[in-house]
Amino acid sequence: MEQENHKIKAVNLLRSRICDPKFIFKNDSADSNYSKLKFMVSSSVTEACNNSVLLLGPRGSGKNEVLELVIQDLLQEYPDSISLIRLNGLLHSDDISAFKEIARQLCMEHQLLFSKAASFDDNSQFMVAMLKECGLAHKTVIFVLDEFDLFAQGKQRLLYSLLDAMQSITSQAVVLGISCRLDADQLLEKRVRSRFSHRKLLFLPPSIEDSQKLLMHVLTLPIDSSFPYDYAVEFNRKIQNIIEDKRFKATLNKYLNVDSSVKHLLRFLFCAASHMDLQTGFLSQENIELSFSSIQRQPKLECLRNCSSLELKILFCMKRLEVKEQSLCNFNAIMKEYKTLPQPDDYSKNVCLRAFEHLIHRELICFTDNRGQNLSVEFRPVKLLISSAELHQGLRANNSCPRYRKVQACRISLPTFTSLADKCHQRLFASSLTTPSNPHNFISSMNKRLRFQDVIDNHKIQREEANKCVRTCPLPLPTIPFTSYIAHPSIPTVSSRS
Amino acid sequence: MPVIAAKRTLRSHPTSPPRKSPRRCPVASPHSTPTRSRFGVDENQADPAPLKPNWNPRDGEQMKRAKLALHLSTAPASVVCREEEQNVILEFCKGCVEHQKSGSLYICGCPGTGKSLSMEKVKQHLLNWAKEAGLPLPDVLSVNCTTLTNTSDIFTKILGLNQIQGKKVSAMPLQQLQNMYSQKSPVKKMTLIVADELDYLITKDRAVLHDLFMLTTFPFSRCILIGVANAIDLADRFLPRLTSLNCKPIVVNFRAYSKDQILNILEERLNELPYTVFQQQALELCARKIAAASGDMRNALCICGSAIEMLEAEIRESACNLNTSLEERSPSKQNLPTTPDFIKKREFDIVKTDHMARALAKTYRSPVVDTIQSLPHHQQIVLCSSMKHFRGAKKDTILGELYKSYVGICKSSLIPPAGILEFSNMCRVLNDQGLIKLGQCREDKLRRVSPKVDEGDITFALQGIRFFQNCLE
Repeated sequence: MEQENHKIKAVNLLRSRICDPKFIFKNDSADSNYSKLKFMVSSSVTEACNNSVLLLGPRGSGKNEVLELVIQDLLQEYPDSISLIRLNGLLHSDDISAFKEIARQLCMEHQLLFSKAASFDDNSQFMVAMLKECGLAHKTVIFVLDEFDLFAQGKQRLLYSLLDAMQSITSQAVVLGISCRLDADQLLEKRVRSRFSHRKLLFLPPSIEDSQKLLMHVLTLPIDSSFPYDYAVEFNRKIQNIIEDKRFKATLNKYLNVDSSVKHLLRFLFCAASHMDLQTGFLSQENIELSFSSIQRQPKLECLRNCSSLELKILFCMKRLEVKEQSLCNFNAIMKEYKTLPQPDDYSKNVCLRAFEHLIHRELICFTDNRGQNLSVEFRPVKLLISSAELHQGLRANNSCPRYRKVQACRISLPTFTSLADKCHQRLFASSLTTPSNPHNFISSMNKRLRFQDVIDNHKIQREEANKCVRTCPLPLPTIPFTSYIAHPSIPTVSSRS
Repeated sequence: MPVIAAKRTLRSHPTSPPRKSPRRCPVASPHSTPTRSRFGVDENQADPAPLKPNWNPRDGEQMKRAKLALHLSTAPASVVCREEEQNVILEFCKGCVEHQKSGSLYICGCPGTGKSLSMEKVKQHLLNWAKEAGLPLPDVLSVNCTTLTNTSDIFTKILGLNQIQGKKVSAMPLQQLQNMYSQKSPVKKMTLIVADELDYLITKDRAVLHDLFMLTTFPFSRCILIGVANAIDLADRFLPRLTSLNCKPIVVNFRAYSKDQILNILEERLNELPYTVFQQQALELCARKIAAASGDMRNALCICGSAIEMLEAEIRESACNLNTSLEERSPSKQNLPTTPDFIKKREFDIVKTDHMARALAKTYRSPVVDTIQSLPHHQQIVLCSSMKHFRGAKKDTILGELYKSYVGICKSSLIPPAGILEFSNMCRVLNDQGLIKLGQCREDKLRRVSPKVDEGDITFALQGIRFFQNCLE
């Protein structure tokens, strides 16, 4: 059991590190936001002067965490000289409730009795008087205003009173505003902005190098007596190898391309640490891949995977109707389309209706509007709730639709298809497939840019005949697959296999 | 004047007249001792003032005093550059008190131009003068109109001042005041009412503001009303009826500070210290920049404060580096004579122009360019694709269209685009940060998107990245 313990201890250590903001954000270098903020606030406390700072940055970049760390440190260093008032823009953006909350918190700190019936005037006078008292007693009042941009709505009376009170020499206050809007100080009225000292701390998401440094910092086990020496060294070596691996870097970049905030990165780290194999006791590349895929779950794909083949066919028909730009899509229209499919299975209408309702319950399709509650299910228009890419992936994954494999092989890439400027070209393709020309040649020629003239030339269709086809022939046939409307890099572009 | 608490040790001499600080020698450098040059002594002064030694920024006490001298809350002993305006107001008040007649005055000006500060001084002077002249001291009421829940509470406050002890406030304070001022009363005292941030009293029907100024028109009125606000034309726009009655308030305009005035004020504040803190060019740079931008004195003081902090940060950093380098070297080599010499050569004496320039850049630079550069890749692509839509006449688009152009850019560069749900999440994040503006709609795809950042900023931020070179043209 002794052998197993250190592996469990390692996992626990990693997980506790990720959840501990002190470990992640406490950075003692002079450049970091933590030390800058700490210097600003502590110098205001020691020198007994007033100050105001804004912390700006996108959500999940650690503004609240850093602020909490700084406040904890200051409360330890100067236990009696700090009084803390917290306000939140989501709760207290109204001036009356804000002053009430300030009065209540001041009363709690100084053990006074708070009366709920106090009016707005009373509360504001109380605040001014308390600031004066605290100033005389050399106590700094720190106001923390979360969601600062919400306080800047309306007449901004609270902000004005706070910042104005800081102009007098008798008060000692620090106002710290936290906001995710970068232009939070532009939202202030000009009087309020003039009284605000334009100090802003920007919390930017880490660059790629910084993210990798953070990964190393978190995942490296300490080489001391808490872990057996060999195990720790081996563990760190393996982590080093993984992080320098090209594949890992590519996956990490792709993951961070969407959202590169610290919170996002930590979520991935936690998942990875939890997936660590307790048998071997080391983090491996497979664990990392597994955690990436488990974070980027697609719930709709999982739903699709569980669908029966009839349901998938219904979805396929709906997609084709969409491609044909048929405006009314309800159950009856779908059934009509379904009959045109090659080898339609002989399911009764009731079975199909049940499959249809099942799809509605799964929320893969839904009614287009809430009117027509009185109509029966067959007549109400429906729309798809999944995208083409997802449907395509679901079809591919489902092995019970063999005939569609052939369909998928005839894919053409999107740029080609969209180079056909208008519908008449599309129809022309459709019709030209029915002509006795060689489909292989046709498909291979579709990889190039095509114009109406080219099509006529290539396939030796008479111009009159082509026009007739355009006028009369409707669009698709089973051999034009709907999946040709997306270019997914994993979909091979067409070749002559078909 | 507000009571200055005992902890403040700094006291400036209230009786010495404001002196211009002596001009330095044009070839002076931070390292040359300034005491001996006789070149640039000001001809206006009778006796050449001794040039002060440089301060020692490592001394905590001196640092504290310097920051205090420049702090916003420290009221200077004398308000320079506003003597004219103060005289006008003082004469007006003196006239009213002497002749026992009421009047109204309106002070206007941009924020940070010294209006409230001058009012404090004028009040002080008025009370002193009334005491000396033997006239009854006027009651002073200072009200900041932002603290009033109801705009008509101002009348309650005015009434509160005139209240004889024990009387209850009736339901109609305005009526009471009007009654009071319509009858002759034996009381000889005048009431000086200073209403700060007057535009908070403006309601839809403008009744309160009007009634307030009309109080001065009553035959036996005893109030001297001084209103302070930012708008120049408040009196014309909101009090038209007063013109017909021929009692329009006198308007005193506090113009924004010019470069020389800002320089004067800064030097005045720094004169109290027995050492020089700033290089002269640094002060001039600050004054020039602020005068061009807004003329707001508070900004100037803040920037000087942050320039001092830059110097402080530099000192701390060099001390840190020194400590680490000493620690590294001490186990290997002892007795390194070069390191102490190195410290001596780098003197940190006064705040130079580069500190000031950095402080100015920090204040006036918007964080937009930095943020755009540090956005994740896909969000940059979204911003880029939005630029195309916002170039036309119509400056907004809907989310569905934006998604199409985003997908287009991704396809042309062979990057798999994100799905529509993730895309709308990214747009919401950009909206939170204030880079685009997202409207509300029931359908997600039909939400309106409008730009909030200048196209030039986006181009500037993304110009270094090769990927965007095609998209940006």
